[in-house]
Amino acid sequence: MAGTGQNGTLKRRSEMDMEQPADDGRRQFILSVLLGGIGVILAGGAGWSIWGYLAPPAGKGEKSKIRLARNLAPVGAAHFFQFRGHPAVVLQVAPGKFHAFSAICTHLGCIVQWVSGRQEFLCPCHGGRYDADGRVLGGPPPKPLEVIPVAVAGEELVVG
Amino acid sequence: MNLPKKVIDFIDARIGIRDILQQNLTEYLLPRNVNVWYTLGAVLLALFGIQFITGILLLIYYVPNTDQAFASVQRIMNEVPFGWLIRYVHAVGANIIVLALLLHMLSVLFMGSYKQPRELTWVAGFIILLMSLGMCLTGYLLPWSQLSFWATTVATESSNEIPLVGDAVVRFLRGGAMVGQPTLGRFFALHVMGFPFIFGLIVALHLFCVRRVGISRPPFGPEYEPREPPSTFRHEHHEGGIPFFPNYVVKDVAVICFFLALLFGVVFFAPGLFFPPAAFAPADPFLTPEGIKPEWYFLWAYQVLKIFPSEFLGLAVQGLFVTFLLLLPFIDRGRERRPTRRPLFLTLFLAGLAVFIGLSVWGHYS
Amino acid sequence: MNRIAGRRYLSLALLLWSGWLLAGAAVAGTAPETVCIQCHGGQTGRLQKPVEQWRASIHSRNGISCHNCHGGDPTDFGMAMSPERGFVGAPEKTAIPDFCGRCHVGVKADYQQSAHGRALGSGGPQCVTCHGNHAVTEASLDLINSEACSRCHEYGRAKVLREALGKTDGMISGLEDDFRKLRRVGIDVKELSDRTFALRNQFHRLFHSVDVEQVRSRSAGFQGDLEKVGAEVDSIRATLQQRKATGGIVVGLLVVMGILAMLIRKIYADEESAGPSSRNG
Repeated sequence: MAGTGQNGTLKRRSEMDMEQPADDGRRQFILSVLLGGIGVILAGGAGWSIWGYLAPPAGKGEKSKIRLARNLAPVGAAHFFQFRGHPAVVLQVAPGKFHAFSAICTHLGCIVQWVSGRQEFLCPCHGGRYDADGRVLGGPPPKPLEVIPVAVAGEELVVG
Repeated sequence: MNLPKKVIDFIDARIGIRDILQQNLTEYLLPRNVNVWYTLGAVLLALFGIQFITGILLLIYYVPNTDQAFASVQRIMNEVPFGWLIRYVHAVGANIIVLALLLHMLSVLFMGSYKQPRELTWVAGFIILLMSLGMCLTGYLLPWSQLSFWATTVATESSNEIPLVGDAVVRFLRGGAMVGQPTLGRFFALHVMGFPFIFGLIVALHLFCVRRVGISRPPFGPEYEPREPPSTFRHEHHEGGIPFFPNYVVKDVAVICFFLALLFGVVFFAPGLFFPPAAFAPADPFLTPEGIKPEWYFLWAYQVLKIFPSEFLGLAVQGLFVTFLLLLPFIDRGRERRPTRRPLFLTLFLAGLAVFIGLSVWGHYS
Repeated sequence: MNRIAGRRYLSLALLLWSGWLLAGAAVAGTAPETVCIQCHGGQTGRLQKPVEQWRASIHSRNGISCHNCHGGDPTDFGMAMSPERGFVGAPEKTAIPDFCGRCHVGVKADYQQSAHGRALGSGGPQCVTCHGNHAVTEASLDLINSEACSRCHEYGRAKVLREALGKTDGMISGLEDDFRKLRRVGIDVKELSDRTFALRNQFHRLFHSVDVEQVRSRSAGFQGDLEKVGAEVDSIRATLQQRKATGGIVVGLLVVMGILAMLIRKIYADEESAGPSSRNG
């Protein structure tokens, strides 16, 4: 293979020139396929994320309602219970008239207590007070208690 | 029965699409010594495209009302599947775009590609830069966090120093005496429709000018010689050049991939880089957090205002600098584009860059 | 809302408004200046000390100012210390629990039933004894120490109490640390943080009963609840790790794509430099 003459070297180079493009072409093809393949994977990932972003999530049991016995909350009294994982309270303000709220104080998150004598909620952490409609009477809470819908169904209360 | 071919034949017979594709892809020749800096245009297009898509996605869940804005962004970050990803890509993407814009501008300056006959391209590009910064500024307010509120207050406050009309300008920008719902409303409208629409038109103009005049040839290598630009229109061909498609397109793809790697690297591993703690607290007009600073690309302006004893002087200096850059192709009429043969320009270029970096670093630590 | 509270909140609102307009960016992270601070701040000695002490306090950090406890009109120099505007001055020692208990209702209830509370008036401690009056810092286990408690009795029983509280307190601080870190990356920890805060307050109330048996028996309950919060924090952290792993793959693939594209480019570049004659058709 070691052609030393001018002729020999030239011939080798032209031979290589003819093989080079074919080799290059094949390499190019493989590289392009790889490039395209990874591109498709990444594009697929992006598309999947965007689909997840747009498609509404499966309802996390948000429709679940709670049924409570009506006599748990006599007139002027409050009954505390768990509602969808959070502390909640239902109270009977007048015969047959019920209110339900989240029992989480809107100030910094402590659980409010019901003061029967004054018919108001009191938060033991910083003295926030709410009336029987959940509205702020005094103290640091910035917003009223979150209202939870409640309906009467015979001897039961349907909360949520 | 090759369906794709039949469709293209149909379109080609009516609008000659094959001819257009040929002229802009395979027969579009670039100068042989084209360098990697020329990929930044494609990088920016890709990044702006991502901003556009993520922006629309965010629009679906975002509420532009001071009562609900912060909570809606919280919801996107915590409850919407992949919301955190879309939000971070959009926010980090904005910063990467500014970086790419600056690099693109620097390379154009360095290679003197703004000179005649490309003045229009430069002016359009500079306006794109200004509008991008405007989109960054307006977008910053939308999450309605402590950072959003106070950074916007500081940014709009500086207009007060404009003589005579300063106060009116501030009120106009804010829609009132202080940053509030009217500010959010107008910034939202600008960010989502106002800027993008005009921005799109000017990008189209910019790209048109680039193609119409012809891509510039890098002023490097032994064959370069400064030439008198044509007095009548002539498209600059690059005979014997390399085809844009596929030869240079792969380079565009490579650099785009590297920039995206940077973007996602920050998104996944350092998302807090552009999010100080004040970015996660809801806006409180009565409580200024400590150490409010603008984003890194505005630190130079912030520092300039602090250096000059008179804020008006600081603003004037900034205005002069920006105007000088905008009108540069009309000021610098020299034909020479080789950086080593433009000593005055090179000095100003390096000094300007050093001052920009210096002021930004100073602004960060002050 | 009754009229006095209403007026108080109106004055507070006016005060905050004028405070913001005046102070602007200079006011960093503190409650706005009342006339109380303006006057007492310029005094010397005994009349000025409360101002400095208050500035470093947790009350100040949460926007609670002089008039919130002492009453009076914070916007009007003339009426700042007028009983007409609710000014009550500094309370007598025995009236301190009632004074602080207007807000800290739960703590007052537990304190009054405790040995400390029953000893009020006969040498027993009240709120200020341990917490100070103006330099009130965030409540922590360090308030129970040999210096403070041995002023009245031997430290031993206080130490027992402190140890009983120790583990739970450690859990709470650990969780608060975790929340800080999570908040920093945009995770909404409000619900978990509120739950922990509620538990923390119930727990701190518990101390004021100074009843070791009660503390011991109820600690298990608290720790159980805190563990539940901890489990949720752990699951959040696991999700974040998962995201990082996916991110690593995405970034890696993008870099590989870039390299592949550069390799293809190299093939073209070689073709180009070899001259037009070697171009493949």
